[in-house]
Amino acid sequence: MGVTCVSQMPVAEGKSVQQTVELLTRKLEMLGAEKQGTFCVDCETYHTAASTLGSQGQAGKLMYVMHNSEYPLSCFALFENGPCLVADTNFDVLMVKLKGFFQSAKASKIETRGTRYQYCDFLVKVGTVTMGPSARGISVEVEYGPCVVASDCWSLLLEFLQSFLGSHTPGAPAVFGSRHDAVYSPADTMVQYMELFNKIRKQQQILWMGRDLERTSSLSCNFSQYPT
Amino acid sequence: MEAPPVTMMPVTGGTINMMEYLLQGSVLDHSLESLIHRLRGLCDNMEPETFVDHEMVFLLKGQQASPFVLRARRSLDRTGAPWHLRYLGQPEMGDKNRHALVRNCVDIATSENLTDFLMEMGFRMDHEFVARGHLFRKGIMKIVVYKVFRILVPGNTENTEALSLSYLVELSVVAPAGQDVVSDDMRNFAEQLKPLVHLEKIDPKRLM
Repeated sequence: MGVTCVSQMPVAEGKSVQQTVELLTRKLEMLGAEKQGTFCVDCETYHTAASTLGSQGQAGKLMYVMHNSEYPLSCFALFENGPCLVADTNFDVLMVKLKGFFQSAKASKIETRGTRYQYCDFLVKVGTVTMGPSARGISVEVEYGPCVVASDCWSLLLEFLQSFLGSHTPGAPAVFGSRHDAVYSPADTMVQYMELFNKIRKQQQILWMGRDLERTSSLSCNFSQYPT
Repeated sequence: MEAPPVTMMPVTGGTINMMEYLLQGSVLDHSLESLIHRLRGLCDNMEPETFVDHEMVFLLKGQQASPFVLRARRSLDRTGAPWHLRYLGQPEMGDKNRHALVRNCVDIATSENLTDFLMEMGFRMDHEFVARGHLFRKGIMKIVVYKVFRILVPGNTENTEALSLSYLVELSVVAPAGQDVVSDDMRNFAEQLKPLVHLEKIDPKRLM
């Protein structure tokens, strides 16, 4: 695969996730991009079961098992800041066998689904990130097919991103960082998606915490109406 | 903890349960040539295939009595071949009339960073060895005749010594669960290899 950049598009002021996605896709179509089917990237989180922790003597690690419709026969398994294993889909069967050692974190499945657009040598995928039934954000993936070395084409990718993302253009992904001349691989794309999903999960947690705070502060207001 | 025993059900949770049917035997070094000759005649017509593989066995210890075993295998003579990860379940007990050892198996092709990934998951290498030998096929049956070599210095596959003066012979089939007719075909084939080698169902538990 060519060098790819995965980023998050913030939801437009006063608009819903769906409306922002529509704005983006309309911009792409005006540029001249052609719709080419759909895509889906999903991620399941596992953590080491408590029973294994004791004997290993190490903090529980989170393992992500991901799939990408661009590679339907593959399964990607990764640890944050750790190795990314590319395996075939039988890996999912193995995870079922490992049920006693690795447990799926509750309500952890997160996925992004959307349309694929081909614009000359660029493949653009705009997806709605969902956790369960609700949409939580927007993912934008841009791949520059002809090049596999990040440092050789980052500036071109950046220019293209600016043409339709404008001020929301991201910086260079962390995966490009250390190894400038290394050949780009699909595993690097999955790492970017994992980071994006984790960011969206954290944003969601902050939102929920904020709502909790609001609720408790409104309760205390009610209390003050009844002085003892 | 193993997943619930895989019985005769070919499909569980949307995936096909694959079973490995296995018969094993051995021949002394000096009988190898005659066995290879007979196999070349009986098996599918193909270029004689030899292999040199390095296998590492990993264990994950939990609170359960028996650790989870995974086998990681890579080719030493074919560059670019993917690594092979294999899970083998407990042998199915049951039908004494079944001619072959039957156990659930999951085969996964992976990228080269498999050992690093397994260590990150918490697996630890228990032992490793090099297998060098010949591969034959007859329809869906796979016949392997190989010698096991002990690795003297961990990680160094150049420096090995043979474990015994014999070759291990394995006749195996990987098929969906519930296809016991496979073991009859295997038994019939094994009959044709007598008296050069006696292939039989060997329960690994009895050896321990």
